[in-house]
Amino acid sequence: MTKVVEISPTTRHEGHSKLTLKVNDQGIVERGDWLSITPVRGVEKLAIGKTMEQVPKIASRVCGICPVAHCLASIEAMEASIGCEIPKDAKLLRVILHAANRLHSIALHNILILPDFYIPGTETKINPFSKEEPFRSVATRIFRIREIAQTIAAIAGGEAIHPSNPRIGGMYQNVSPRAKQKIADLAKEGLVLVHEQMEFMLDVIRDMQNREYVTVGGQNIPIPKTLGYHNQGVMATSPMYGSSSLDENPTWDVTRWKETRPWEWYMGEVTIDLEDPNYPIGGTTKAGTRANPQMEACNSVPTYDGQPVEVGPRARLATFKNFNEKGTFAQHIARQMEYPDCLYTILKCLDDLDTSGKVIADHIPQGDGSMGWAANEAPRGTDIHLAKVKDGRVLWYEMLVPTTWNFPTCSRGLKGAPWQIAEMVVRAYDPCVSCATHMIVVDEKNRIVAQRIIQ
Amino acid sequence: MREMTADPYLGKYITCVSARSTDKEILKKAQDGGIATALMVYALEEGIIDGTIVAGEGDRPWEPRPIVAMSREDILKARGTKYSISPQIAWLKEATRSFGLDKVGVTGVCCQMQAVRKAQLYPINMRDVPGKVALTVGLFCMENFPYKSLQTIVEDHAAQSLGSVKKMEITKGKFWVHTERGNVSTVPLKATHKYEQPGCHVCLDYVSSLADISTGSVGSPDGWSTVFIRTKKGNEVWSKAVAAGMFETKPIEDVKPGLELLTKLAKEKIDKNRKTLEERRNFGVNKALRDPYA
Ligand SMILES: Cc1cc2nc3c(=O)[nH]c(=O)nc-3n(C[C@H](O)[C@H](O)[C@H](O)COP(=O)(O)OP(=O)(O)OC[C@H]3O[C@@H](n4cnc5c(N)ncnc54)[C@H](O)[C@@H]3O)c2cc1C
Ligand code: SF4
Repeated sequence: MTKVVEISPTTRHEGHSKLTLKVNDQGIVERGDWLSITPVRGVEKLAIGKTMEQVPKIASRVCGICPVAHCLASIEAMEASIGCEIPKDAKLLRVILHAANRLHSIALHNILILPDFYIPGTETKINPFSKEEPFRSVATRIFRIREIAQTIAAIAGGEAIHPSNPRIGGMYQNVSPRAKQKIADLAKEGLVLVHEQMEFMLDVIRDMQNREYVTVGGQNIPIPKTLGYHNQGVMATSPMYGSSSLDENPTWDVTRWKETRPWEWYMGEVTIDLEDPNYPIGGTTKAGTRANPQMEACNSVPTYDGQPVEVGPRARLATFKNFNEKGTFAQHIARQMEYPDCLYTILKCLDDLDTSGKVIADHIPQGDGSMGWAANEAPRGTDIHLAKVKDGRVLWYEMLVPTTWNFPTCSRGLKGAPWQIAEMVVRAYDPCVSCATHMIVVDEKNRIVAQRIIQ
Repeated sequence: MREMTADPYLGKYITCVSARSTDKEILKKAQDGGIATALMVYALEEGIIDGTIVAGEGDRPWEPRPIVAMSREDILKARGTKYSISPQIAWLKEATRSFGLDKVGVTGVCCQMQAVRKAQLYPINMRDVPGKVALTVGLFCMENFPYKSLQTIVEDHAAQSLGSVKKMEITKGKFWVHTERGNVSTVPLKATHKYEQPGCHVCLDYVSSLADISTGSVGSPDGWSTVFIRTKKGNEVWSKAVAAGMFETKPIEDVKPGLELLTKLAKEKIDKNRKTLEERRNFGVNKALRDPYA
């Protein structure tokens, strides 16, 4: 008999979300809904009428882990709308900033997922906050990688969290020769560390793939070989940076995208009738509680060719490097494999960077209302911003952020997982729920659904 | 090391001397003893700093523009007092960003030293700044002027064109204007008061009490500076620089007019501005103007 269990809130990812799960007698998910319950902030609506300079700085505040993605995608959407080509050195600085942010984000995610994993060959789970070895050295390495990444982002981007340097038409500042050297020194130090860290993570993940079970709340939970599998396919625009409608051959097709309403994909009202007070830490939702994912979801559902898709590191590797594994552990593996590329990209850009080069376009058109879009391959996947700018003001603005693409896809990937490890499936997407929660969701009669829920 | 002196008007300091740089090139265009310039050049050459914020040349004559100087040449460009507002702190964070500095030097007047210290202790959107400030050199400052004021004083009151001015100086009750061709005009300070930046009237610091090292002209003869060595950092840098032969020094006690005049002027500034602050409390009918020190 099908029962309903709910994990709310989910933990060890950015933002606020929950899992409403229909499970069979063995506790295996038959249908799972993973949804955002982070209050909608409505960035897209409040952007209307504001200047094209201001909106990217607001969009950046959608998320403090990947502000670089939103800032760059937003600026480049404006540039695409007005038809502004930026100078080469500005682009190089943006790529450096972008790669540095991806680097810090992967490392941060290591901290979030490691507690689900074991020291290879042992029954000891990894506690990155422990003072003991080997945990301490791993944590120290991760912190140094993040410090390096954030420092590089601050130099190239003006600020690590909410970069100040990018502007419509390029950048405010080029960097000094000294700053360039400093980035190079840091990148070289980082390169050694990320190779070590990648190898470490890959060992840990492979060890998990060989395990039969994991312990959750004192119970042994079997790990299906197909954990996290889905048939939704992937979407990516570039292995590293992104694409925009200014490109000669854009790698994203706006006509294949369609925005849909959450209830086309989420289940309706259910009553929780399975409860586990031992689920760490604090138990699951009380039996008798009603849930309604269709109404509660604070995310909308963008589709590509009419279906939800997976975006992120695995999507990038699958699209551009023929990576052919799938599921939870393949997602983890793909993410670790992106480590070195961040630093190689930075070093390559530094080689080409002329520190006395111009970083702002000579002419910045004010826009005639044409639609432009830009895709930024954020740490968590394709982040697409679409804009119409006229006379320097934003007429229309839309953000399709990675975790929004991933919500319904991941929900499908939950099928077949023991409910106690549904969160592991979720974490392999490195969710950034704040990112995914900036929509005002409108129903058929144009009533604002999400806003009603907040009230 | 000497015991710390804590003076109610001159702030805390380890030593006070009269000094001037031994570098002839620096002295050529320095306002006084070339202390501000020589210290930053020395700190740069010794790796104590890797860049410093100075008041460089702006777009209009005698209009300062803050710059991040990373060479001796650029530091020397900031020699001479510009009696107009130079928003030095505007580059404080940026120095640690696109300039890529690890050890930032800052020069400026008393209020700008206060800004640096506040950012170090309460870094509000000032990430990385607290740990990267390496050396601060503060100037004495009685008051400052907006650029329009300076134009009016020099062009109307002193009847000189700003483009031909070589040096300006406030001393002995007058505003002095020296031109390249050797003319000297003076304006009685009384005539300049209405042009002062109003914000200076609540300033309770004359000798840059919060700097590592502070320097000014009052107290020492022409071509010499009065220097306070205040912090551990300041003491380290100063001792090394003196040992390296960068400065001629005299104990301030042996110099005329010395600390007596300096204390008198400091007291005048602070007493007068304290009174202004008090008046703000009863500025309205049953309401006050804000007191940032409250
Ligand atoms: C507005 C103002 C008021 C002053 N009032 C007094 C006073 O009442 N009594 C007194 O004894 N001394 C005063 N001084 C200090 C004095 O004029 C000299 O600046 C000081 O003695 C340093 O001389 P120096 O030869 O060591 O500097 P130099 O080697 O000539 O170098 C000049 C230094 O001053 C800085 N500077 C120049 N203009 C400005 C500015 N507008 N804002 C911030 N920094 C600037 C430069 O960055 C540089 O570091 C004042 C200075 C200023 C800027
Ligand atoms: S008088 Fe005080 S507030 Fe005015 S410029 Fe000088 S130090 Fe700053």
